[in-house]
Amino acid sequence: MTTVDEEDAFEAIVIGGGLAGLSAAYRLAQAGRSVLVVERGASCGAKTFTGGRLYTYSLRELLGERWREAPLQREIDREVISMLTDTEAMNVDTTFADPAGRSYSVLSTPLVAWLAEQCEQAGAEIIPGATVTGLVIRDGVVRGVRMGDEELTSALVIDAEGINPLVFERAGLVRRLAREDVAVGVKYLFKLTEEEVDRRFTTSDRRGTAMLGMGAVTKGLFGGLFLYTNIDSVSLGLVVDSDSWREHGHSLVQTAEDLRQHPAVGRYVAGGELVEYGAHLVYEGNVDTLPQLFGDGWLIAGDAAGFCINRGFTIRGMDYAIASGIAAGETAAAALAAGDVSATRLSAYKARLEGGVLADMAKVRGAHHWMAHTPDLFSTYPALAVGLMRDMFTVDGGPLVPVRSTLTGTVKKVPKKLSTALNLVKGVRSL
Amino acid sequence: MRRMKIDELLSATTFETDEHAPHIVIDPQACRTCPSGRACEISCPAQRYRWDEANEVMTFDHVGCLECGNCRLVCDRLFTGAEGYSWDYPQNGSGVTYQFG
Ligand SMILES: Cc1cc2nc3c(=O)[nH]c(=O)nc-3n(C[C@H](O)[C@H](O)[C@H](O)COP(=O)(O)OP(=O)(O)OC[C@H]3O[C@@H](n4cnc5c(N)ncnc54)[C@H](O)[C@@H]3O)c2cc1C
Ligand code: SF4
Ligand code: SF4
Repeated sequence: MTTVDEEDAFEAIVIGGGLAGLSAAYRLAQAGRSVLVVERGASCGAKTFTGGRLYTYSLRELLGERWREAPLQREIDREVISMLTDTEAMNVDTTFADPAGRSYSVLSTPLVAWLAEQCEQAGAEIIPGATVTGLVIRDGVVRGVRMGDEELTSALVIDAEGINPLVFERAGLVRRLAREDVAVGVKYLFKLTEEEVDRRFTTSDRRGTAMLGMGAVTKGLFGGLFLYTNIDSVSLGLVVDSDSWREHGHSLVQTAEDLRQHPAVGRYVAGGELVEYGAHLVYEGNVDTLPQLFGDGWLIAGDAAGFCINRGFTIRGMDYAIASGIAAGETAAAALAAGDVSATRLSAYKARLEGGVLADMAKVRGAHHWMAHTPDLFSTYPALAVGLMRDMFTVDGGPLVPVRSTLTGTVKKVPKKLSTALNLVKGVRSL
Repeated sequence: MRRMKIDELLSATTFETDEHAPHIVIDPQACRTCPSGRACEISCPAQRYRWDEANEVMTFDHVGCLECGNCRLVCDRLFTGAEGYSWDYPQNGSGVTYQFG
């Protein structure tokens, strides 16, 4: 049995003050445990980056009714899926009557900074501007962290380093992140006024739009665009598969700039002031490459563990970061109370996740592989959709064409129609 | 809409840069025999890598790096930590400092 030592500086140390690490620290502090968060950014939130849509269920679980105080942006009630060719687009645009607070657009830095304050108020300690460089491991048990020459010991360590978990990789506790597992995302943030965002998206009362698009914007490769309305700004980004992009030969920055020039996209941000440009990796979400999630004296949560689902039309990482942080914090608090931080005891963490993120990821097993190997999704289908609409709505004084002929005409223009259709059926089953 | 160059894009973002301590190191000459099709050039979202045709070297500027980690995955030498190539995060809170994230 791996027990708790009185000499330790803290009962628990959390590596990384993002959503996952802070959620874990919050639960530990609430349970009256001494906990330290080490964050490499100058403050919590300085290094975190996201696309911008949070599904709120896990934030509610973390904070109860106080989740409403969190700095969220707009409540999403309008979903747009866009299929794009180089110069044209066809959108499916849906407005829901009662979004019920299920999801909000967010900016990561203020949200994370706010959560850090809640942690401190609950009694957690945070050291920002400090990078964990290694682990203290004694007899195979993780017993603290190293920051350069300095050593801080604890009964237990929670790893929440994010998608590049250098510390745990170097300690051999997780496998090396590989380009096959990730996409790279870039995001522009354009400042407008609240009234202007309302006007461009025909909305009011801090209701917002989420738009995801695929097609020519990724030069036919696996990936897509996202656009989220914030209170007085718009987040516009592009996500591309790291591995296929590498083979492909287009500059990522040029491609992001091409996206901004696309008439169906650029008009939403035109005239806005660019206030930030950033980039980050995002998991494509593969349940089969998840690492070991716990061991003697340690747990791993959030992006560091690989908890993310990218289905093209939804990206979910933040909600799982919070949910896994809660599970890690509660498991750790119970283990500390029992004076037993052995792997056997900490396996309760995985059992908890089996009803949540692990089950979700298992359900979409294969989806990522299918999307990455179905270029038709990013070229043929969008061209088909846009072409059909164009033909239906083109009135130029020529002889009238019935819709049925337009349909067959459009389909005939698309090569490989049979394999396309079969493949689509196969793939949609995995989504 | 007017296209922007990378320097203009990055000037919107806040950096607390340690000019003297590059957190990513490559060997500009050794890059002549790149085994990765110079993937760093097209895959870096901050365009920090540029092939200098005249001198046949890869130039890299760590200032303005967004710390995404993509070059560490697409460059086989950074990936394996070959001699003369290493990837780390900047230390002491320096580097990109998002205001919005
Ligand atoms: C372009 C893009 C779009 C996305 N869109 C969405 C979306 O719309 N909805 C959604 O739910 N998810 C989205 N995601 C995913 C989501 O952003 C992440 O899954 C989530 O933010 C992960 O949170 P985390 O706390 O695990 O990691 P992070 O937020 O990365 O936090 C890790 C923290 O650890 C710190 N750290 C790292 N190493 C060390 C060290 N050695 N020492 C000390 N500190 C360290 C970092 O500085 C950082 O603060 C998107 C991601 C990207 C890149
Ligand atoms: S991919 Fe790596 S080895 Fe090749 S040019 Fe770039 S840095 Fe050099
Ligand atoms: S970490 Fe990202 S932004 Fe920095 S040099 Fe590498 S690819 Fe470019």
